[in-house]
Amino acid sequence: MKFRYAMVCSSNQNRSMEAHFLLKRQGFDVSSYGTGAHVKLPGPSLREPNVYDFGTPYKHMIEDLRRKDPDLYKRNGIFPMLKRNSTVKLAPQRWQENAADGSFDVVVTFEEKVFDMVIEDLHNRDHALLKTVLVINLEVKDNHDEAAVGARLTLDLCREIEAAESWEESIDEIIAGFENKHRRKLLYSISFY
Amino acid sequence: MAAPTRDQVLSLLAAANNHGDLAVKTSSLKQAKDLLLSIDPSLAADLFPYLIELQSSPESLVRKLLIQIIEEIGFKAVEHSPTMISLLLTFLRDGDAIVVKQSIVSGTNIFCSVFEELIVQFQQYGKVERWLEDIWMWMLRFKDAVFGIAVEPASVGIKLLALKFLETFVLLFSSDIGDTEKLATKGIRQAVNVEWLVGGHPHPVLDPVVLISDANRTIGILLNLLLSVGSLPGCLTITVVNCLAAIARKRPQHYDTILSALLDFDPDFQRVKGCHVTSIQYSFRTAFLGFLRCTYSPILESRERLIRSLRAMNAGDAADQVIRQVDKMIKNGDRSTRDARVSKDDQPSTQSPVSGELSRKRPVPLDNEQLANGHDTISKRIRSGSDSHSTLPAQINDSRQDLSSVNGVSANVPVLDSELTAVEQMIAVIGALLAEGERGAESLEILISKIHPDLLADIVITNMKHLPKTPPPLARIANLPVTRQLSSQVSQSQVIAASVPINSVQSLSGTAQASFPSPTPTVTVTVTTSLPSDTSNFSNQPADSKRDPRRDPRRLDPRRVVVTPGGATVSIADDTGATKEFDEPVSSIKPVSLPVMTADDNTLSDLTVKIKNDDIISEGSPVSGPDQVTPKTEVLEMPGDIHQITEADTSLDPSLSSTDLRDEDLSKAKLSEDTETIGTDSSIFEIDQSSIDVQVESTLEDTCLELPQLPPYIELSEEQGSKVKNMAVRRIIDSYKHLHGTDCQQFCMPLLARLVAQIDDNDEFITMLQKHILEDHWRKGHELVLHVLYHLHSLMILDSVGNASSSAVLYEKFLLGLAKTLLDSFPASDKSFSRLLGEVPLLPESSLKILNDLCYSDVIGHDGKIIRDIERVTQGLGAIWSLILGRPQNRQACLGIALKCAVHPQDEIRAKAIRLVTNKLFQLSYISGDVEKFATKMLLSAVDHEVSDTGLLQSGHTEQIAEAEVESHEISCTSQVSESTISENDTAIFAKPSIQSVPSILFSEAQRLISLFFALCTKKPSLLQIVFNVYGQAPKIVKQAFHRHVPVVVRALGQSYSELLHIISDPPQGSENLLTLVLQILTQDTTPSSDLISTVKHLYETKFRDVTILVPLLSSLSKQEVLPIFPRLVDLPLEKFQRALAHILQGSAHTGPALTPVEVLVAIHGIVPEKDGLALKKITDACSACFEQRTVFTQQVLAKALNQMVDQTPLPLLFMRTVIQAIDAFPAMVDFVMEILSKLVSRQVWRMPKLWVGFLKCVYQTQPRSFHVLLQLPPQQLESALNRHANLRGPLASYASQPTVKSSLSRSTLAVLGLANETHEQHLSSSLHSSDTSSSVHGATLT
Repeated sequence: MKFRYAMVCSSNQNRSMEAHFLLKRQGFDVSSYGTGAHVKLPGPSLREPNVYDFGTPYKHMIEDLRRKDPDLYKRNGIFPMLKRNSTVKLAPQRWQENAADGSFDVVVTFEEKVFDMVIEDLHNRDHALLKTVLVINLEVKDNHDEAAVGARLTLDLCREIEAAESWEESIDEIIAGFENKHRRKLLYSISFY
Repeated sequence: MAAPTRDQVLSLLAAANNHGDLAVKTSSLKQAKDLLLSIDPSLAADLFPYLIELQSSPESLVRKLLIQIIEEIGFKAVEHSPTMISLLLTFLRDGDAIVVKQSIVSGTNIFCSVFEELIVQFQQYGKVERWLEDIWMWMLRFKDAVFGIAVEPASVGIKLLALKFLETFVLLFSSDIGDTEKLATKGIRQAVNVEWLVGGHPHPVLDPVVLISDANRTIGILLNLLLSVGSLPGCLTITVVNCLAAIARKRPQHYDTILSALLDFDPDFQRVKGCHVTSIQYSFRTAFLGFLRCTYSPILESRERLIRSLRAMNAGDAADQVIRQVDKMIKNGDRSTRDARVSKDDQPSTQSPVSGELSRKRPVPLDNEQLANGHDTISKRIRSGSDSHSTLPAQINDSRQDLSSVNGVSANVPVLDSELTAVEQMIAVIGALLAEGERGAESLEILISKIHPDLLADIVITNMKHLPKTPPPLARIANLPVTRQLSSQVSQSQVIAASVPINSVQSLSGTAQASFPSPTPTVTVTVTTSLPSDTSNFSNQPADSKRDPRRDPRRLDPRRVVVTPGGATVSIADDTGATKEFDEPVSSIKPVSLPVMTADDNTLSDLTVKIKNDDIISEGSPVSGPDQVTPKTEVLEMPGDIHQITEADTSLDPSLSSTDLRDEDLSKAKLSEDTETIGTDSSIFEIDQSSIDVQVESTLEDTCLELPQLPPYIELSEEQGSKVKNMAVRRIIDSYKHLHGTDCQQFCMPLLARLVAQIDDNDEFITMLQKHILEDHWRKGHELVLHVLYHLHSLMILDSVGNASSSAVLYEKFLLGLAKTLLDSFPASDKSFSRLLGEVPLLPESSLKILNDLCYSDVIGHDGKIIRDIERVTQGLGAIWSLILGRPQNRQACLGIALKCAVHPQDEIRAKAIRLVTNKLFQLSYISGDVEKFATKMLLSAVDHEVSDTGLLQSGHTEQIAEAEVESHEISCTSQVSESTISENDTAIFAKPSIQSVPSILFSEAQRLISLFFALCTKKPSLLQIVFNVYGQAPKIVKQAFHRHVPVVVRALGQSYSELLHIISDPPQGSENLLTLVLQILTQDTTPSSDLISTVKHLYETKFRDVTILVPLLSSLSKQEVLPIFPRLVDLPLEKFQRALAHILQGSAHTGPALTPVEVLVAIHGIVPEKDGLALKKITDACSACFEQRTVFTQQVLAKALNQMVDQTPLPLLFMRTVIQAIDAFPAMVDFVMEILSKLVSRQVWRMPKLWVGFLKCVYQTQPRSFHVLLQLPPQQLESALNRHANLRGPLASYASQPTVKSSLSRSTLAVLGLANETHEQHLSSSLHSSDTSSSVHGATLT
């Protein structure tokens, strides 16, 4: 592929990792990140989430949760998700701290709030490379089923971008076509590295 | 090593250019780039032409890589940078978008780097290098090209980068006045902006105003793009909005403009086709939320507008969330404030290059100042040159004066010999030119200009050889005027020679004169260099030691001359010429005679003879030979001598005329030149006429005598010489006035000093110089005066006995004249007179006489009164004071003058002198003894004079008496009024008429004589002992004078002085009055000390039984101390008792009065005349004195006193007398007195005869109030009282007849009064007829 892609959600666990998993399997040059302050996983109740720092390996999370309640987390799908994530990369990464990873051509976010944070972060950076970056937001609910759907939609969108000779020229058509086809609202913006 | 690397790069570049595989091409090019970056830049530069060939590569990737290489190595080879950067412009028009994008990216980076480099160079060096300017010019073209891409149709991808470039451009060229915290977190490139240029000098390339204007226009471009949204793709619109938002956030000065445009954006998206409206709208939302996150004051003010817009976009929740975040940030303001402070500290560091630049620019004005100083130096040199010209005429006269001095100084002969060598060469050449006649005149002028510096150099070297001990700096300064002087003389001599080119004999004479003055300046230099070191009297000693070695050569030189026979002959000849005036023309003929002999020969032979003569002089011993031959020749050539004399007279006229002409203004230079030419011609004519006359005279001379011709010549030359001297002096003084430089002053001061020393008995010159000194600023004139005086003083020391006397006379004359002039010209407050006397090297007796006259001499005015300017006396005394301090040699003389003034008849003068002597001179240990002796002598003369005059004591001071009489006689002539006044005061004195006038005269005389002594007593209290010692034998008038001075001294000393207490404890015989006066003064204003009290009490108890000395202390004594001595106080004369009474009643502030008025009365009445040894009258007088002070001894006081005394046993003797006085003084006391009388009856007052008499008198005086007291008496006493005062019987009987009174009386009392029932009537009738019968009856009863 000719572009580098970044998948960004809140905790780099569900939506971004689902898309990362799928695009990686399809041969895309892809990375994934989260924009939250911490990694949050469901807990015994809504008031008791499991919180980890970014950079904590997915395997450590599995072991920690297994000691707590192996049945609960197996039943609510956390364990399978963590297992999948561990096969993709070592640990969750934070978007605001990914400068060392280099520049991306396309950044896909899955929540408007995340989209805002990514745009703001890019605007506040020093644009030393003068390299344009396309930021697209695809609204996806944060559950396993929707994550799977979002991942497939993201794959389709990326294929459209890859197919275009110049995405700068045709981004409006791509977005319009995608929305008509999938009945999903998109947002995009332009920033620079 | 380099060769393989270079070949390697070339092969790689060839592969990149020619290889068929794209991967190989790109790989080779990357490797070549790495090598180029690693090798030396100079070597890399050689390979750039091959690199540039790649621009024609068909593969876009290769071209893109080429651009990247240019970006990375562009600055390493500055020579090729312009060429390589020009490729960027070419690539902007490339067909492939990838290449164009890379060109924009690399161009933007290079643009920022170049801009930063420009600023750095400009701030550090104030200028920009040429190669950098060239690159910047290319970058400006690049900027214009990119701007074109932004506004013209182009690929969207390319336009996005172009828009980003626009944003970067605006940020660079806009000053950053925003948040410094954000600035600190950004990179260096972002930090650089146009603000760095503000404050410095604008550069044509980097004018901040122009750059800021460009930035504003660029924002306009972006805003115009925003207005044409309908025709732009969505991503371009979003990018424009994002760029504008970024600019607004980072450059608040553009916020309002951009915000207005964004808010006014038309929301009608129907027209927008093909654009993703939601994303465009979202970009505005993002921009507004970004603004809310900013904390700049302009943005905060527009928060409401932003919130309204966001709510309209359904972004209210997001806005609220952002606001909450911002509020939290504000709460953490402390942290941000601290960070801001740190950032602010960084700003000065960024601005330090600017200050460094400013500091580096400061040397530039200094350079300008140096240039200005150079101009001043040049102008000074020009002035000094003109000054040297102005001194030309004076040199002629100097040379003539030097002739006489040279003759008198034989030591300079060797110097003359050494100088002749250079002069000889000059004369030889000049002679050759003169042989050519008028044709040689121009050549002669050229020769003079050429020889001038060489001759000066030789002269300087010669002078330096003769000054081995002179410091080089001083020698250089001192020699400058000498060098000019010599050069001026030489030039002037040549002028004289040129003026008479035809007559070669005269020209030779002129040159001969010019050669003589050369040795004299050497002597002047010697004297001049020693003057600066003479700054005070003490420094004269080392100066003398320095001069001692120089005396030896002078003394040895005459001996050498004496030893040599030829030298002796020369010396004798010189002496003869100096002493005899009539021989002067004969001696002047000698130099001229030699040319006469050679006149018949050729010119060359003339010079040859001249050289021979020089050789003879240099050898010395053969001189006698030619002299023997010369007189014969003179005798043979007598007519020729007469001829030369005439010619000599004519030669003076041209010089005089030229001197006069030079006095004219410079504006008439041309006219003066013409006049000089005419003068020259006229002189030639005169010569011709004189030659004709000579021919005629030669015929007549055969029959005439020689002598009549000589006198007119002598007189004329003297007059002319004097006139020319005065003119020269005037010119020197005038030039001196206009000089400003220090070197010029040092040139003229020694010159004027030397003139004063060499011009004897010339009053006109001295007067002229003094006038000049006073006209000039005194500081400058003062230096000149000291120069002259020190020069004369050095001559006095160095010269022989004969010259010393003349120098000393001149010194004294000059100093006295100047001192008098200063006194006449300046006010008394001027310090120049005192300063002059204090700084001159020697102070002669005559100058002290001026001081004496200034301070002491009497001046009698027209009115016959003494007229003396007190201010002048003050000036004189001030000078004396400084002289006493600064000149030990004159100390005694000055002290004498001051002491004479201290006894001056005039009070004002005497007071000033006494103040000086007492407060200043008496403090000096080496003078106080003399002052004390003088004052004591004056005091004793006052005492002894009167004693001797009155005949009470024979005195051996006959001289003093004589002097005193003379002085008193003088006073009597001038103080008629005071005499009459004194005589009036002394009317009580019964003395002989012959003596009566003397005391009145002597009072002021006594004051005059003793004032100084008493002034010294304040400084030395022990001197009071002398006053007490002589007080007893002093005449009355002198004692009065003492009484006038002692209070001042005692008040000044106070009572704590041990010397004073010592005197009080043991006063000499006869000084009782003085002692009393002292005690009064000591206790007058202050409480006496315990020491004083104890001393006086001890004196009273032991040696001095006079209670008078205790009177002043009564206030401080206690009751127990006063009562024992009270009888003695009462025994004093009434006035003294009254004074003592006042002290007793006054008391001290601490203990109150020693005795209360009541106690005083009781004490007075307690005195027993027989026991205490007092006369009764003393006591009665004391009582009367108390009654006179009714304010103190009031009615209440009397009542209390009488109450106390009526109970005493025995009753005081004067009790009844006091009671009667009390009634007289206070009639209201009658009731009280009745009580007293009743008490007296109780105490059987009739037992005390004296009191009984007073009792009856009081009763009689107080009737009828006293009747009830009388009736209290026993019948016997009542009868006795009535017998004594018979007239009381009737009134008393009437009083007793009253029923109330009668009933209380006893029968016996009634019987005494005759108030029985029947017997009363019979008694009454019988008493009327026969009083004797009744009295006899009573007597029988008693018996």
